Amino acid sequence: MMLLPCPWCGPRNATEFRFGGEAGRRPDPASASPEEWRRYLYFHTNPAGWSTETWYHGAGCRRFLTVERHTVTHEVRAARDTATGTTGEGIS
Amino acid sequence: MSSPLARSPIPPGPATERDGWEVDARVPGGPLTLSDETPLAKVHVRAPFDGASRAALGVGFRRTRRADLGAGEVLVVGSGPGEWLVLGAPGTAGALRAAVEQRLAGTGEFTSVLDLTHGRALVRLHGAAAPAVLAGVCAIDLADAVTPDGSAFRTSVAGVVTDVVRDDLGGTQRSGAAASDNGGVRSYLLHCERSSGRYLADALLDAGRLSGLAMTGFRGLA
Ligand SMILES: [Zn+2]
Repeated sequence: MMLLPCPWCGPRNATEFRFGGEAGRRPDPASASPEEWRRYLYFHTNPAGWSTETWYHGAGCRRFLTVERHTVTHEVRAARDTATGTTGEGIS
Repeated sequence: MSSPLARSPIPPGPATERDGWEVDARVPGGPLTLSDETPLAKVHVRAPFDGASRAALGVGFRRTRRADLGAGEVLVVGSGPGEWLVLGAPGTAGALRAAVEQRLAGTGEFTSVLDLTHGRALVRLHGAAAPAVLAGVCAIDLADAVTPDGSAFRTSVAGVVTDVVRDDLGGTQRSGAAASDNGGVRSYLLHCERSSGRYLADALLDAGRLSGLAMTGFRGLA
Protein backbone atom coordinates (compact mmCIF):
# COMPACT_ATOMS: atom_id res chain seq x y z
CA MET A 1 0.00 0.00 0.00
CA MET A 2 1.29 3.44 -0.94
CA LEU A 3 0.74 6.02 1.81
CA LEU A 4 0.42 9.76 1.34
CA PRO A 5 0.54 12.09 4.35
CA CYS A 6 -2.50 14.34 3.96
CA PRO A 7 -1.97 17.56 5.95
CA TRP A 8 -5.64 17.44 7.03
CA CYS A 9 -6.38 13.73 7.43
CA GLY A 10 -3.04 12.13 8.26
CA PRO A 11 -1.46 9.21 6.42
CA ARG A 12 -3.88 7.68 3.92
CA ASN A 13 -3.88 5.00 1.26
CA ALA A 14 -2.93 6.57 -2.08
CA THR A 15 -6.08 5.07 -3.64
CA GLU A 16 -8.05 7.75 -1.74
CA PHE A 17 -6.36 10.43 -3.87
CA ARG A 18 -6.44 11.46 -7.50
CA PHE A 19 -3.08 12.27 -9.02
CA GLY A 20 -3.02 15.71 -10.59
CA GLY A 21 0.42 15.56 -12.18
CA GLU A 22 3.36 17.89 -11.75
CA ALA A 23 2.37 21.10 -10.05
CA GLY A 24 2.76 24.16 -12.22
CA ARG A 25 1.21 27.51 -12.79
CA ARG A 26 -1.60 27.46 -15.34
CA PRO A 27 -1.07 29.96 -18.18
CA ASP A 28 -3.39 32.95 -18.31
CA PRO A 29 -6.29 31.84 -20.56
CA ALA A 30 -6.65 35.37 -21.92
CA SER A 31 -3.12 35.73 -23.20
CA ALA A 32 -1.51 32.26 -23.49
CA SER A 33 -0.45 31.09 -26.96
CA PRO A 34 -1.30 27.57 -28.22
CA GLU A 35 2.38 26.73 -27.77
CA GLU A 36 2.25 27.73 -24.10
CA TRP A 37 -0.87 25.63 -23.58
CA ARG A 38 0.76 22.60 -25.21
CA ARG A 39 3.80 22.96 -22.97
CA TYR A 40 1.61 23.30 -19.90
CA LEU A 41 -0.60 20.31 -20.76
CA TYR A 42 1.80 17.82 -22.30
CA PHE A 43 5.43 18.69 -21.50
CA HIS A 44 6.55 17.41 -18.11
CA THR A 45 9.91 17.05 -16.43
CA ASN A 46 9.25 13.46 -15.30
CA PRO A 47 12.27 13.39 -12.98
CA ALA A 48 13.70 10.25 -11.43
CA GLY A 49 13.93 12.12 -8.15
CA TRP A 50 12.12 14.88 -6.32
CA SER A 51 8.92 16.06 -7.95
CA THR A 52 6.39 18.65 -6.84
CA GLU A 53 2.93 17.28 -7.58
CA THR A 54 -0.75 18.02 -7.16
CA TRP A 55 -2.95 15.43 -5.49
CA TYR A 56 -6.68 15.65 -4.76
CA HIS A 57 -7.97 13.90 -1.64
CA GLY A 58 -11.38 12.94 -3.00
CA ALA A 59 -12.15 10.27 -0.39
CA GLY A 60 -11.10 12.45 2.54
CA CYS A 61 -10.89 16.20 3.06
CA ARG A 62 -11.65 16.94 -0.62
CA ARG A 63 -8.79 19.42 -0.77
CA PHE A 64 -6.11 19.91 -3.44
CA LEU A 65 -2.65 19.25 -2.05
CA THR A 66 0.87 20.13 -3.16
CA VAL A 67 3.17 17.23 -2.40
CA GLU A 68 6.95 16.92 -2.77
CA ARG A 69 7.51 13.27 -3.56
CA HIS A 70 10.57 11.29 -4.63
CA THR A 71 9.51 9.30 -7.66
CA VAL A 72 12.08 6.56 -7.07
CA THR A 73 11.79 5.95 -3.31
CA HIS A 74 8.27 7.36 -2.84
CA GLU A 75 9.57 9.35 0.14
CA VAL A 76 7.39 12.41 0.78
CA ARG A 77 9.21 15.35 2.33
CA ALA A 78 6.46 17.99 2.24
CA ALA A 79 2.68 18.13 1.82
CA ARG A 80 0.51 21.20 2.12
CA ASP A 81 -2.96 22.41 1.19
CA THR A 82 -2.53 24.13 -2.18
CA ALA A 83 -4.97 26.93 -1.39
CA THR A 84 -4.31 27.62 2.29
CA GLY A 85 -0.76 26.36 2.75
CA THR A 86 -1.87 24.27 5.74
CA THR A 87 0.77 21.72 6.65
CA GLY A 88 -1.23 19.88 9.28
CA GLU A 89 0.40 21.28 12.40
CA GLY A 90 -2.04 22.63 14.93
CA ILE A 91 -5.20 21.19 13.39
CA SER A 92 -7.63 20.20 16.10
CA MET B 1 -54.65 12.34 0.99
CA SER B 2 -52.09 11.08 3.48
CA SER B 3 -48.71 12.76 3.64
CA PRO B 4 -45.86 11.06 1.76
CA LEU B 5 -43.79 8.48 3.61
CA ALA B 6 -40.00 8.81 3.35
CA ARG B 7 -38.02 5.64 2.87
CA SER B 8 -34.38 4.78 3.43
CA PRO B 9 -32.40 3.08 0.63
CA ILE B 10 -31.85 0.23 3.11
CA PRO B 11 -34.92 -2.07 3.22
CA PRO B 12 -36.30 -2.46 6.78
CA GLY B 13 -37.31 -5.64 8.56
CA PRO B 14 -40.76 -5.28 10.11
CA ALA B 15 -41.58 -1.65 9.37
CA THR B 16 -43.44 1.03 11.23
CA GLU B 17 -43.96 4.74 10.71
CA ARG B 18 -42.29 7.47 12.71
CA ASP B 19 -42.15 11.20 11.98
CA GLY B 20 -42.96 10.65 8.32
CA TRP B 21 -40.36 7.90 7.88
CA GLU B 22 -40.63 4.19 7.41
CA VAL B 23 -38.39 2.74 10.14
CA ASP B 24 -37.35 -0.72 11.22
CA ALA B 25 -39.74 -1.57 14.07
CA ARG B 26 -37.51 -4.04 15.90
CA VAL B 27 -36.39 -3.13 19.40
CA PRO B 28 -32.69 -2.32 19.07
CA GLY B 29 -30.57 -4.86 20.86
CA GLY B 30 -27.88 -7.49 20.54
CA PRO B 31 -24.14 -7.57 21.16
CA LEU B 32 -23.14 -6.48 17.63
CA THR B 33 -25.65 -4.67 15.48
CA LEU B 34 -26.14 -2.53 12.42
CA SER B 35 -29.08 -0.14 12.50
CA ASP B 36 -30.44 2.10 9.77
CA GLU B 37 -30.32 5.68 11.08
CA THR B 38 -31.17 7.33 7.77
CA PRO B 39 -34.32 9.01 9.23
CA LEU B 40 -32.16 11.27 11.43
CA ALA B 41 -32.13 14.89 10.25
CA LYS B 42 -28.87 15.71 8.45
CA VAL B 43 -27.84 19.31 7.97
CA HIS B 44 -24.62 20.18 6.18
CA VAL B 45 -22.71 23.38 6.93
CA ARG B 46 -19.91 25.04 5.00
CA ALA B 47 -17.97 27.94 6.50
CA PRO B 48 -14.38 29.12 6.88
CA PHE B 49 -12.24 26.48 8.55
CA ASP B 50 -11.21 28.36 11.66
CA GLY B 51 -13.38 31.42 12.20
CA ALA B 52 -16.45 32.64 14.03
CA SER B 53 -18.66 29.89 12.56
CA ARG B 54 -16.44 27.23 14.04
CA ALA B 55 -16.74 28.97 17.40
CA ALA B 56 -20.52 29.17 17.00
CA LEU B 57 -20.76 25.45 16.19
CA GLY B 58 -18.42 24.67 19.06
CA VAL B 59 -16.36 21.99 17.35
CA GLY B 60 -13.60 21.79 14.76
CA PHE B 61 -12.50 19.37 12.07
CA ARG B 62 -12.21 15.72 13.16
CA ARG B 63 -14.17 16.15 16.43
CA THR B 64 -17.81 15.84 17.51
CA ARG B 65 -19.95 17.47 20.15
CA ARG B 66 -23.44 16.97 21.56
CA ALA B 67 -25.27 20.25 21.81
CA ASP B 68 -28.62 22.00 21.53
CA LEU B 69 -28.48 24.52 18.71
CA GLY B 70 -32.11 25.50 19.18
CA ALA B 71 -33.95 22.48 17.79
CA GLY B 72 -33.34 19.75 20.37
CA GLU B 73 -30.22 17.75 21.12
CA VAL B 74 -28.01 17.23 18.09
CA LEU B 75 -24.64 15.73 17.28
CA VAL B 76 -22.35 18.27 15.60
CA VAL B 77 -19.60 16.63 13.56
CA GLY B 78 -16.51 18.39 12.17
CA SER B 79 -16.64 16.33 8.99
CA GLY B 80 -14.10 18.19 6.87
CA PRO B 81 -11.96 21.34 6.79
CA GLY B 82 -14.66 24.01 6.78
CA GLU B 83 -17.41 21.38 6.73
CA TRP B 84 -19.79 20.28 9.45
CA LEU B 85 -22.57 17.71 9.65
CA VAL B 86 -25.35 18.26 12.19
CA LEU B 87 -27.48 15.23 13.06
CA GLY B 88 -30.82 15.60 14.83
CA ALA B 89 -34.00 13.70 15.61
CA PRO B 90 -36.22 12.55 12.72
CA GLY B 91 -38.61 15.20 11.46
CA THR B 92 -36.57 18.13 12.77
CA ALA B 93 -34.53 18.89 9.63
CA GLY B 94 -36.37 22.07 8.68
CA ALA B 95 -36.24 23.55 12.17
CA LEU B 96 -32.63 22.45 12.60
CA ARG B 97 -31.54 24.02 9.32
CA ALA B 98 -33.23 27.28 10.29
CA ALA B 99 -31.69 27.19 13.78
CA VAL B 100 -28.17 26.62 12.45
CA GLU B 101 -28.60 29.32 9.83
CA GLN B 102 -29.77 31.77 12.48
CA ARG B 103 -26.85 30.86 14.74
CA LEU B 104 -24.35 31.50 11.94
CA ALA B 105 -26.02 34.67 10.64
CA GLY B 106 -24.26 36.80 13.25
CA THR B 107 -20.77 35.64 12.31
CA GLY B 108 -20.53 37.82 9.22
CA GLU B 109 -18.85 34.90 7.43
CA PHE B 110 -19.91 33.42 4.13
CA THR B 111 -21.67 30.20 5.08
CA SER B 112 -24.07 27.72 3.55
CA VAL B 113 -26.50 25.51 5.45
CA LEU B 114 -28.18 22.68 3.55
CA ASP B 115 -30.70 20.02 4.51
CA LEU B 116 -29.26 16.76 3.13
CA THR B 117 -31.61 14.44 5.02
CA HIS B 118 -33.10 12.81 1.95
CA GLY B 119 -29.86 12.76 -0.03
CA ARG B 120 -27.78 10.68 2.35
CA ALA B 121 -27.81 7.34 4.09
CA LEU B 122 -26.73 6.78 7.69
CA VAL B 123 -26.12 3.57 9.62
CA ARG B 124 -24.81 2.79 13.09
CA LEU B 125 -22.40 -0.07 13.74
CA HIS B 126 -22.66 -0.84 17.43
CA GLY B 127 -20.99 -3.32 19.75
CA ALA B 128 -17.65 -4.16 21.34
CA ALA B 129 -16.55 -5.95 18.16
CA ALA B 130 -17.47 -3.01 15.90
CA PRO B 131 -13.84 -1.97 15.32
CA ALA B 132 -12.93 -5.49 14.17
CA VAL B 133 -15.76 -5.41 11.62
CA LEU B 134 -14.91 -1.91 10.43
CA ALA B 135 -11.21 -2.76 10.17
CA GLY B 136 -12.12 -5.31 7.51
CA VAL B 137 -13.39 -2.63 5.13
CA CYS B 138 -11.54 0.51 6.23
CA ALA B 139 -7.81 1.27 6.45
CA ILE B 140 -7.93 3.73 9.36
CA ASP B 141 -6.38 2.91 12.75
CA LEU B 142 -9.38 2.49 15.07
CA ALA B 143 -7.37 2.31 18.31
CA ASP B 144 -8.36 4.66 21.14
CA ALA B 145 -5.07 6.51 20.83
CA VAL B 146 -5.76 7.46 17.20
CA THR B 147 -9.55 7.69 16.92
CA PRO B 148 -11.04 8.03 20.42
CA ASP B 149 -14.72 8.50 21.19
CA GLY B 150 -15.84 11.80 19.70
CA SER B 151 -13.56 11.66 16.67
CA ALA B 152 -14.64 11.86 13.04
CA PHE B 153 -12.95 11.25 9.73
CA ARG B 154 -13.83 10.76 6.09
CA THR B 155 -12.34 7.83 4.29
CA SER B 156 -13.06 4.94 1.96
CA VAL B 157 -15.21 2.25 3.60
CA ALA B 158 -15.66 -0.80 1.37
CA GLY B 159 -14.79 1.53 -1.51
CA VAL B 160 -17.45 4.12 -0.60
CA VAL B 161 -16.50 7.62 0.54
CA THR B 162 -17.94 7.68 4.05
CA ASP B 163 -17.99 10.02 7.03
CA VAL B 164 -17.12 7.83 9.99
CA VAL B 165 -18.10 9.19 13.41
CA ARG B 166 -17.12 7.42 16.59
CA ASP B 167 -20.03 7.94 18.95
CA ASP B 168 -19.84 5.44 21.80
CA LEU B 169 -23.12 4.89 23.64
CA GLY B 170 -23.82 4.43 27.31
CA GLY B 171 -20.56 5.86 28.65
CA THR B 172 -20.09 8.23 31.54
CA GLN B 173 -18.88 11.08 29.32
CA ARG B 174 -20.45 12.34 26.16
CA SER B 175 -18.72 12.65 22.81
CA GLY B 176 -16.16 15.37 22.65
CA ALA B 177 -14.55 14.41 25.91
CA ALA B 178 -10.82 13.99 25.72
CA ALA B 179 -10.83 10.71 27.61
CA SER B 180 -10.72 7.76 25.27
CA ASP B 181 -12.03 5.13 27.64
CA ASN B 182 -15.32 6.35 29.10
CA GLY B 183 -16.88 2.96 29.71
CA GLY B 184 -19.28 3.24 26.77
CA VAL B 185 -19.93 0.64 24.09
CA ARG B 186 -18.09 1.16 20.80
CA SER B 187 -20.34 2.70 18.22
CA TYR B 188 -19.74 4.19 14.80
CA LEU B 189 -22.07 6.27 12.65
CA LEU B 190 -21.38 5.86 8.95
CA HIS B 191 -22.72 8.51 6.60
CA CYS B 192 -22.60 8.30 2.80
CA GLU B 193 -24.47 9.25 -0.38
CA ARG B 194 -27.97 7.80 -0.41
CA SER B 195 -27.31 5.85 -3.61
CA SER B 196 -24.45 3.97 -1.90
CA GLY B 197 -26.34 3.33 1.35
CA ARG B 198 -27.72 -0.09 0.60
CA TYR B 199 -24.40 -1.30 -0.76
CA LEU B 200 -22.57 0.03 2.32
CA ALA B 201 -25.01 -1.71 4.68
CA ASP B 202 -24.68 -4.97 2.75
CA ALA B 203 -20.88 -4.70 2.68
CA LEU B 204 -20.78 -4.16 6.45
CA LEU B 205 -23.14 -7.09 7.11
CA ASP B 206 -20.91 -9.20 4.91
CA ALA B 207 -17.75 -8.08 6.72
CA GLY B 208 -19.40 -8.78 10.08
CA ARG B 209 -20.91 -12.15 9.24
CA LEU B 210 -18.28 -14.16 11.13
CA SER B 211 -18.50 -11.81 14.12
CA GLY B 212 -22.28 -12.30 14.35
CA LEU B 213 -23.27 -8.84 13.10
CA ALA B 214 -27.06 -8.53 12.73
CA MET B 215 -29.49 -5.86 11.60
CA THR B 216 -31.58 -4.30 14.36
CA GLY B 217 -34.18 -1.54 14.75
CA PHE B 218 -33.75 2.23 14.58
CA ARG B 219 -31.86 3.65 17.59
CA GLY B 220 -31.65 7.38 17.08
CA LEU B 221 -29.01 9.55 18.73
CA ALA B 222 -29.69 8.45 22.32
ZN1 LIG C 1 -7.22 14.76 3.32
